[in-house]
Amino acid sequence: MRSEKDNAMLTTRCDGVTRRDFVKVGSLTALGLSLPAFLRRRAAADDKKLPVRAKSCILVWLDGGPSHLETFDPKPNAPVEVRGPLGTIATRIPGVQLSDCLPSVAGMLDRVAVIRSITSPLGEHNLGAVYMLTGYQPTPVLEYPTLGAMVARVRGQSDALPANIAIPSFSVGGGRITGQGYLPATCRPFSVGGDPAKPDFRVRDLDAFPEVTEERLARRRQFVQALDGFARGADTSENAGDPQFEQAYRLVTSPEARRAFALSDEKPKTRERYGPRTIGQSCLLARRLVERGVPFVTVTNVGWDTHQNLYTRLKEGYTGAKVGVGLVPLMDQAVSALLDDLSERGLLDETLVVVMGEFGRTPKLNTDAGRDHWPRAFSVMLAGGGVKRGIVLGESDSVGESPKERPVTPADLACTIYTLLGIDPALELHTADGRPVRVNQHGKVVEEIVA
Amino acid sequence: MAVAEFLLAVVLCAGDPAGGEIPHFDTEVMPVFTKAGCNAGACHGSAAGRGGFKLSLLGGDAAADYSTIVHQLEGRRINLARPADSLLIRKPTGSLDHGGGEPLEYEGKGAKLLESWIAAGAPRGRRRKLEDLSIEPRRAVVSPNDKSVPIRVTARFDDGRTQDVTDWTVFTAADSSAVEIDAAARTATVRRGGQHVVIARFLDRVLPLQFIAPIGDAPVDLSQSPRRNFIDDHVLAALQTLRLPISPPADDAMFLRRLSLDLTGRLPRPEQIEKFLADDRADKRERLIDEMLDSQEFVEFWTWRLAQWLRIRSGPNDAAGTQAFHAWLKRQLKERRSYLEIAEEMLTATGDSHTVGPANFHRAAGDARGQAEYVSELLLGVRLRCANCHNHPLDRWTQDDYHGLAAIFARMERGQFVRFGPRGEVTHPATGEPAVPRIPGTRFVEGKGDHRPDLAAWLAEKDNPYFARTVVNRLWKAMMGRGLIEPTDDLRETNPAMHPELLADLSTDFVKHDYDLCHTLKLIAASATYARSSETLAANAGDDRFYSHALSRPLEAEVLADAIADVTGVKDAYTGRASQKDAPETTADRAVRIIDPAVPAEALDILGRCPRTESCETPAATGGGLTARLHLINGPVVNAKISSDDGRLRKLMAAGRSNEEIICEMYSRALGRPPRDDELLHWTRAAVKAASPDDRRRFFEDFCWALLNCREFSTNH
Repeated sequence: MRSEKDNAMLTTRCDGVTRRDFVKVGSLTALGLSLPAFLRRRAAADDKKLPVRAKSCILVWLDGGPSHLETFDPKPNAPVEVRGPLGTIATRIPGVQLSDCLPSVAGMLDRVAVIRSITSPLGEHNLGAVYMLTGYQPTPVLEYPTLGAMVARVRGQSDALPANIAIPSFSVGGGRITGQGYLPATCRPFSVGGDPAKPDFRVRDLDAFPEVTEERLARRRQFVQALDGFARGADTSENAGDPQFEQAYRLVTSPEARRAFALSDEKPKTRERYGPRTIGQSCLLARRLVERGVPFVTVTNVGWDTHQNLYTRLKEGYTGAKVGVGLVPLMDQAVSALLDDLSERGLLDETLVVVMGEFGRTPKLNTDAGRDHWPRAFSVMLAGGGVKRGIVLGESDSVGESPKERPVTPADLACTIYTLLGIDPALELHTADGRPVRVNQHGKVVEEIVA
Repeated sequence: MAVAEFLLAVVLCAGDPAGGEIPHFDTEVMPVFTKAGCNAGACHGSAAGRGGFKLSLLGGDAAADYSTIVHQLEGRRINLARPADSLLIRKPTGSLDHGGGEPLEYEGKGAKLLESWIAAGAPRGRRRKLEDLSIEPRRAVVSPNDKSVPIRVTARFDDGRTQDVTDWTVFTAADSSAVEIDAAARTATVRRGGQHVVIARFLDRVLPLQFIAPIGDAPVDLSQSPRRNFIDDHVLAALQTLRLPISPPADDAMFLRRLSLDLTGRLPRPEQIEKFLADDRADKRERLIDEMLDSQEFVEFWTWRLAQWLRIRSGPNDAAGTQAFHAWLKRQLKERRSYLEIAEEMLTATGDSHTVGPANFHRAAGDARGQAEYVSELLLGVRLRCANCHNHPLDRWTQDDYHGLAAIFARMERGQFVRFGPRGEVTHPATGEPAVPRIPGTRFVEGKGDHRPDLAAWLAEKDNPYFARTVVNRLWKAMMGRGLIEPTDDLRETNPAMHPELLADLSTDFVKHDYDLCHTLKLIAASATYARSSETLAANAGDDRFYSHALSRPLEAEVLADAIADVTGVKDAYTGRASQKDAPETTADRAVRIIDPAVPAEALDILGRCPRTESCETPAATGGGLTARLHLINGPVVNAKISSDDGRLRKLMAAGRSNEEIICEMYSRALGRPPRDDELLHWTRAAVKAASPDDRRRFFEDFCWALLNCREFSTNH
């Protein structure tokens, strides 16, 4: 017998073959999947040890809600109030067009996957961001961890570098999401706190205070451990110390960690390739971090909440710019450089790159030449580890208003990302008060984009 | 004949259907869709529908749904000749391909009900409305041996009939791992100890059910535990049921430090500690509470706290108003004004916001809708946001409430001069007409004038369940570390309090005492519940919401920064201006004295201060965490202060104090207690190893650094 909740969620379960799946198998052959292959795939989801297709994930978070119509899902044939002021260009996939501000991504579209039918009911920054970043719709009962925190929790931290790092900071969805959810504070994204595009970039507070030598820092740590030990009373069996303090201590005393953040070690040519702005240099730093085994890096790019003057903000950057330095061209350069660079270093196959924001924008331009929030249909780009190359999945309707086919929920997306990272969506974790919670509850792997 | 059998089955399952034979569309057929999830937001209930079939969200509009089902597509969804072949039945039972799976069991109760309704000609039937919904039990304490509870939902309709609608009620457990609903057996089974909520929905009613199961294995006897006031009665009763033992009382030093942090935002000074520990009067704690509530520090700290609630922050070209607002707020607290009067004055204020402090209340949000959200979150503790676009799915709020409240503020002019202007309206998106001003959830208000006074008057009305409860819940959270309802701006029937009677009594008592903040603060501080130790027992260590022990919580960014300054004896100087043109340069020597969080203070941002751009209900995301840790380890906030020539440590050393004296003084300042013998021994032994004066200086710098980085210092416990 199914429980009440399962009944409601029948259509969107992440694991288990339901009766409907068998009913549907008939139509699967049309997709090139035989029944045994289909079942094998489903069986894989039940196996606790999923294959790790991607060791790391770089999430390029376009905060504020990027317009799908000006990026991955342009509507060149729609009326002008929908089409908007930007043009479109052909891509490496015949018949698929992108915004003309994405020439580099268009040139490598045969190596990435784009989903054009993401759909969410949540059109407010915080709520939408929580859903996209956790795979769970927000509820007051429990705060869910973000993708990065979950990865940090399951994968753990191997050395001095935190497992979940945000560049320049984890300022998303209006800045009120810690990302930690019900997990320990050590899973929280670590904001590097400086702008990698600045010549004097350094991670805030990574360097010791003047006169504080390594020996003194070691002694200070001993003292803290002694004080924490005294506070716990006679119980000296627990000698591990405050996990967050220990995490910080490891980070500040590690020369390797310091080197990971040293962007100046990169060749000038490499730095140029990513573009001089924050998003480019952040992506470059993200590459350095995954190279050193950090499993989850968020690159936060702010400013996508384009209620006004969308043309200037997305394309030009400033009014009358000859070469566009708006959000989209800068993202185009950064993301394409990242993919190429990862690929040249042989890292792309083990690094999952995801480009997304909390929602799309309204199909019709508003009176301020901008677009407002629109969660019902928008796009996400994925590439790298475990992702099929050259696929555009799903479709929005003629004006980008609703998914026309293959709707994909943020829960499905999270389920897919976890699966690609080898994290079983059905894995149960426990909150501080013992409540079991699955890594992902309501999602289903988007099999079409899995290589 | 077959039809008759079906009908018989329906009669047996669903009780007595209205009209005897034919299922009633609005009240019997509609619940089938809701129960099966057909009209959920993710399926046909989405604004665009699914697969060309659109139902109203959660069955909010029966007339529209009737038309869609019976008339749309030339009636192809139903087959009057062969009811069982209707698309309406074949799709959801899986006999035709259906993107949404098989929410209805083939030949199950739901499918049969639909079939008999279609067989009868698919009539809309006469209008019939739900008058009352009752659930048994609303609150159940389950025994450790038998954790299954039968549930029965009864609906009373306006035709006088009552029906058992248990089968058609949608139950959703807030925590599905804790309570399992077995629809067929009509029972709820509690799987884990604790207090759990299940939301029941039938037609447009949403009701919470509470299930309480013991957490501990063995019964506990709390009948002899100390009680100071009704707070303790309620809390102990709940703990007794949950079988959670209580931690012992906090000792005097722990109590003093906690109270001082909660009421004044400061650590106790050594002389205060000494005096309090030496005091042997029986009522010394009560005296201490009074003393603190009367202090200047209390006014200052609670001005800061209320400024957080109110999100006082300068907007564009608005800095002068911020100063006025803050000064006014501080005066209210100093004069111990009733919170009701404070709220009323803000709601109805007009005038030059640069001189009339409360007028700035109307500038906190940019427009009428924003203000409706702000006012409802702040004064009512409810989130109306959902009701902007659709009726709130888990609460009573409708679009009328949202836009009606916004309409009250529609004519506000929010420039430097705040006034109720001659025009302005808010368009109701459902009608396209100007929304009618409305006291949320209560009544429309007539007339063209300024309805803010009506709203203000409503706050104090007896049937207003929100205003007082929201405040006392916030006060409780400030003192106890966790609200009786969390989050504190999400009060609704479906998010019930952990101790509902306690919240009700606190709120009644608050009203009875003229909405006096200090009265309730004192009541909480004087309770035995407040005065428990934060040290946990094996059996209550997992408790974070029933107050079996005091909750240890991190010091808030501003309080932490001030505490570091106080311990090290090096004052901060927060000088700067907000980015606005007219912003005056301001200086504050304590973080809690900073009036405008737009004034830059990097250390506070790193430590995680609330920027007040949104509700401060949740902790800041950009500060805190590892980032804050690194700052405390390597940043100047601690390092520069412990080694400062003007700092306490250097002064103590220069004055020739002994190792023991320095250790005791720094312990007392940072931790609010003298070191125990073993601690003193440990540190004095370590200190004598320092050979040279420079070694000694470095030793004590490291010692102080560790004090400011240890857990006991950085938490209020």
